[in-house]
Amino acid sequence: MNAPANASALTVEDFNIRGARTATPKHYGEALLEAARRDARIVALTADLTLPTETDLMRDEMPDRFVQVGIAEANMIGVAAGLARSGDIPFAHSFCVFATRRCYDQIAMQIAYPRLNAKVVGVIPGLSTLLGVSHQATDDIALMRALPNMTVIEPSGPDQVRKAVAAIATYDGPVYLRMKRADGSERDLGGDDTSFAIGRARVLRQGPDGLLLGTGMMLGPVCEAADRLAAEGIRVSVADVATLKPLDPAIVDLARRAPVVVTAENHSIIGGLGSAVAELLMESDVRPRFARIGVRDVFAEGGTTPYLFERYGLTADAIHAAFSRERSRGA
Amino acid sequence: MGVPLQSTGKRGDGEGDRQPALRIRDVEALGAIAARLRRDVIDLVEPTGQGYVQQGLGAADLFTVLYFAELRLDPADPAWPDRDRFLLSTAHNTAIFYATLAARGLVPAVEGYCQDGSPFEVNASERVGPSIEATCGSLGQGLSVGVGMAMAARRRGSSRRVYVVLGDGELQEGQVWEAALLAAGRKLGNLCLLIDDNRMQVEGHVDAVVRLDPIADKWRAFGWATEEVDGHDIPALLGALDRARAAEDRPTCLVVRTLPGKGVPAFEGILAHNLKLPADAAATARAALAEGAAA
Repeated sequence: MNAPANASALTVEDFNIRGARTATPKHYGEALLEAARRDARIVALTADLTLPTETDLMRDEMPDRFVQVGIAEANMIGVAAGLARSGDIPFAHSFCVFATRRCYDQIAMQIAYPRLNAKVVGVIPGLSTLLGVSHQATDDIALMRALPNMTVIEPSGPDQVRKAVAAIATYDGPVYLRMKRADGSERDLGGDDTSFAIGRARVLRQGPDGLLLGTGMMLGPVCEAADRLAAEGIRVSVADVATLKPLDPAIVDLARRAPVVVTAENHSIIGGLGSAVAELLMESDVRPRFARIGVRDVFAEGGTTPYLFERYGLTADAIHAAFSRERSRGA
Repeated sequence: MGVPLQSTGKRGDGEGDRQPALRIRDVEALGAIAARLRRDVIDLVEPTGQGYVQQGLGAADLFTVLYFAELRLDPADPAWPDRDRFLLSTAHNTAIFYATLAARGLVPAVEGYCQDGSPFEVNASERVGPSIEATCGSLGQGLSVGVGMAMAARRRGSSRRVYVVLGDGELQEGQVWEAALLAAGRKLGNLCLLIDDNRMQVEGHVDAVVRLDPIADKWRAFGWATEEVDGHDIPALLGALDRARAAEDRPTCLVVRTLPGKGVPAFEGILAHNLKLPADAAATARAALAEGAAA
């Protein structure tokens, strides 16, 4: 009714799909749909973000197991709790920042405290958005880690995303899954070990000179930094810490053999991977030289992801520099 | 009073084989239960002087009608999957809530109310057992959980119904209105909201904090079948719940006007949200309630 009759050439799809410069694979959405085909208890909820959270696949194939709540994240969490208490396994979706910070009390009281079998799923972690500070989630891991009963996972790469979804679908308990929505540029990192297990850090390589720990989007820069160190004759271990909570206690053994440990995350240095590793190592009497790469306790500005990652030091350069600084400091 | 309050019901495989609601329709019998529950409220609060007396006395008739005339529950199996769901979003109103659950046989005798180590905390948590369908108390959350439960019941083709009690002051929480929109938008006829409209919140009269009126018009505008009911008129409550059950194409909101302290003349109308009940006041209440029962 609003469109003039002669504008028939353009449709919503032109803007939503044809306007996208590259075809976007739906690793998450397909994995969720596969899990839902296997388990009739799985339902998907979304707060007006069906396409960005890839839940259109659920909506189209099993519409009675898809719940659109509108722009109302707090209510979405409560509804998910009601579904979970009725025997469903709800996956509640939004952008990371709105799926956690906006409805923190609801998640605490209605999901985590009763330890319901419900999953909170966020896309757009950290600085991976053009939409500015309102859409940047740099404290979501910290918030979710602080909740008893909550498992926190940030997989890296398409294969790990699919395996993480399958794993949390069969895990009985609350989970926060944080991931970047695929744009086609992602690649799998990991060499021989392509397994995924909740609570296990995946060791990608081993070396005597140090340990680099990365999660999510920072795993690529971590591997690149390790390559550059290797070119300098410094061989480090690298692990993909996809489960931020519970943290794999095997990290203690890796760190015990490492003179330098550097963590890297697309998140605040407060409360995320770096904090979790520091807590674990200090209480285990393991005291390597240590540095955290992440957003250093600031609100960021808006911009493209490469610009922001450079601007806030989420790069292989920064990891390499931090490692080299700590290594030389102890020499 | 000759009413089998703790009936174990007929056990069977299907939902239809279960004991349905007690469906006590005898107004005198229900009044007698409410009078007993009011005495229980005083008995629970008196030992520590801690608990929500005014709200409990005010909501006694509402809880009586819900648990003894409306909800389908099985005291022999409080976790029966097809039971009706009841959510007390104002989870602090526990003296009347626990007294009612105990009288209905859904929990054992309430021991240690508001005392350290007891599951009967001042805010109802699911430590009590399956009759606490969700741990509320962080105001504004209960209706959302009820909406999810109503959606799940409908998808399963279950005839179980969902009842949620909110306080009127709680309507100041924005999440309530998110849930209100969704419930009406999804035509959840199996959902019944009861607003305990006692005009009271922590800082006094709701109008002195943030005005809520007209409450019923707001719910009507949101698409709910809405009625205003005198919360101390048992036949009126029964009738309103009957009509709620018959409304299949939309959720129902009953704005239940209740009087804080109802049944104890010296307490009535005092908007004391968190009454610390002095021993002499407890004695006054007990005398008044005994007199009322004898009258």
